[in-house]
Amino acid sequence: MPENDASLQKTLDFLRTQFREYYENNPIELPDRFGRREFAFVLFGGKGMIRHLAFPKKTDFTAFLIDRAPMHAYYSSAYYKKPDASTMQEKQWMGAELIFDLDSDHLPNAEKLSYAESLDLVKKEFKKLVEEFLLGDFGFNEKYLDLYFSGGRGYHAHVKDPNVFDFDSNERREIVDYITGRNLQDAIVFKEHVTGKKEYHGRSFASGKSLIMPSPDEAGWKGRISRGVIELVDEIARSSDPIKKLEEYGVKQTDAEKLIQDLSEDRVKRIREGLLDQSKTIRRFFLNSALRKTAVSLAKGETDEPVTCDVKRLIRLPGSLHGKTGFQVKKLTLDELKEFNPLNDTVVLSDEPIKVTLRQPFTITMNKETFSLTEGETEVPTYLAVFLLGRKIAVLF
Amino acid sequence: MTELAVLAKYPFLNDTKEYIKSIGLSVEELLSHPLYERARTIGIERLDNALKNTDVGDSCVVTDSDCMMVVLSYPIARMVAVCVGDTYFKKRYALGEAYCAYRNLLDESSLFLLDAAKELGLHAGSIEEKQQIRLYFKDYLRFAPTHYKEWNMTNRTIDRGFVTVSQKDLARIILEVLRKRINDELDARECDPLAIRMFSEDIKRFQNIVSMQKKKMEAAPVGKLSVEKLPPCMKYILAAIQAGENVPHMGRFALVAFLHSLKLSPNEILKLFSTAPDYEEDKTRYQVEHISGKTSSTEYKSPGCDKMRTYGICPQEKIDELCRRVHHPASYYSAKWRQEKEKT
Ligand code: SF4
Repeated sequence: MPENDASLQKTLDFLRTQFREYYENNPIELPDRFGRREFAFVLFGGKGMIRHLAFPKKTDFTAFLIDRAPMHAYYSSAYYKKPDASTMQEKQWMGAELIFDLDSDHLPNAEKLSYAESLDLVKKEFKKLVEEFLLGDFGFNEKYLDLYFSGGRGYHAHVKDPNVFDFDSNERREIVDYITGRNLQDAIVFKEHVTGKKEYHGRSFASGKSLIMPSPDEAGWKGRISRGVIELVDEIARSSDPIKKLEEYGVKQTDAEKLIQDLSEDRVKRIREGLLDQSKTIRRFFLNSALRKTAVSLAKGETDEPVTCDVKRLIRLPGSLHGKTGFQVKKLTLDELKEFNPLNDTVVLSDEPIKVTLRQPFTITMNKETFSLTEGETEVPTYLAVFLLGRKIAVLF
Repeated sequence: MTELAVLAKYPFLNDTKEYIKSIGLSVEELLSHPLYERARTIGIERLDNALKNTDVGDSCVVTDSDCMMVVLSYPIARMVAVCVGDTYFKKRYALGEAYCAYRNLLDESSLFLLDAAKELGLHAGSIEEKQQIRLYFKDYLRFAPTHYKEWNMTNRTIDRGFVTVSQKDLARIILEVLRKRINDELDARECDPLAIRMFSEDIKRFQNIVSMQKKKMEAAPVGKLSVEKLPPCMKYILAAIQAGENVPHMGRFALVAFLHSLKLSPNEILKLFSTAPDYEEDKTRYQVEHISGKTSSTEYKSPGCDKMRTYGICPQEKIDELCRRVHHPASYYSAKWRQEKEKT
């Protein structure tokens, strides 16, 4: 059966109806300072985004959601004197939360992973961001951190500490640079240490040097890099195929062989004790890989600039549905995050069966049930139908 | 009460302000009474020194009365600076005061530094056992010269929101706080009519010096660059660098990449920057050569208006008609040249 306009229309109508039903039955909690925020929406079948909306009253907002049943709902991380003005100048910026956006698209090798695997990976990355950086290094109070599953492929953290509201984009960029470990200078991390001396004509010279790593429990990047190095060494030492392991870290085969040769048992022991030898290859490899291992990859916006730097960013409205998955944008506590599985825990639509036509075979575990679907017409619960239709894996006829 | 000699060194401290209040002088007495002639002379010296040496300088303080004159010279210098009425002049003076304080602070105990920092609104404390100072990261971000690599937060130790800094670092950060604070204070004040009358000659002299310096800067025959034809964004960044302000990395980057795209050599670009009071040849040279691709494999592209806007370095209040028609600062610049040709 060929796909045509009629089937597209049918799909859109179906999705809209499902979303409307959700909004009718699930009142959305509004963000704080709600009247000062700009809202924006993408509608099913609509072209582009409707922007610059403001809702002085909560009831107007609820009515809007039910009436339009939008595919995507956003609000501004910034608050304004006039949130519905159409230019930034007229809006009059008053401040903005600090937003971190992690998306599996931005993780290395993400294309090779399944949806579930990539969700897992991004969650690990997100935990690192929150625990190590936001709570650890920056010391934000947990009560100022709101964590969300984005409904799609990632997680968002909103920092609501009033101290960050007036950060300009340069200050935000500096925070991003810190979290991504940009410009980290190895001389600051590894300190040279003279291990031997030679006498020559009555004067002494350094005959051996090694690099001392900071203690792994040191604060900030110093300790972090040490922890990364030790983890790496252990990983390589434990691995049954260390060369392959190194190749996974992007080391060329010839370099990997040399590195393994260099990494004698004795050396590994010394590294664990905090001494890195002065071999350039080893040093560069460890610094770079430990950095990659411990830094966080943040999502980039349209201008290839991390969204965190943007002081007027639009973000997904918590509680709303993501139009490409039907999942709820869900608020999480740090504890909940540990056990959280988006494929089970954000399924909010009904399980009433419905017939869809798959374009390709597809397997997924959702709502604690594994579906192995073959190409062609098949009956699935509504929540899965929305997911398949939203991601264009299936169509409705 | 703090010693008078200390007050003379740090006239911006609350103790100094209290002291001046306690003398109970009227503005009129300060500006015209023969007793304070010496304070007035030192006040003008402060301004001259700021212009010439980027440092208002230390006057010789031996007796208590010397100290008092130095203390009183501060409000006088400020009043005159406001009456000169030029932004560049005020900036230079603010930097001169801040730099002088910085120089003196380097010799103080960490306790004194911490007290001064707190008085200026910084959230700083000490880590006893390590004899280190911790500064709240927001203060650090706001005031540290993070456009230098070693000042990047990444290369600092930060724990639970506090960055570890040395005494010298803290003094440098205080310099920035002071510079900004004095500058803002001068901008907010109105010129006192009596000050104009009493210092009319000096004020005129300063105004002349400034306008000559400006002419020199604008005419700076750097290659074929015409500073006048620069788009508002670049003019703004260049002026800030030349006045010794803390220009964020992105701003420096954009300007250097832009100048490089106009085929200015690194040396020519450096010449433009060299009028900055905090100009550090080595560091700046490294940055410039890096961006222009001499010491790096990539030659960075100069950002377009869209990018400039996202970086927050397109000055919205200064853009003009031509800005609305172009998408890249470089096309603004060449359009200006074309306009001129068409006129002649
Ligand atoms: S519009 Fe473009 S050329 Fe004009 S000031 Fe902004 S960035 Fe510069």
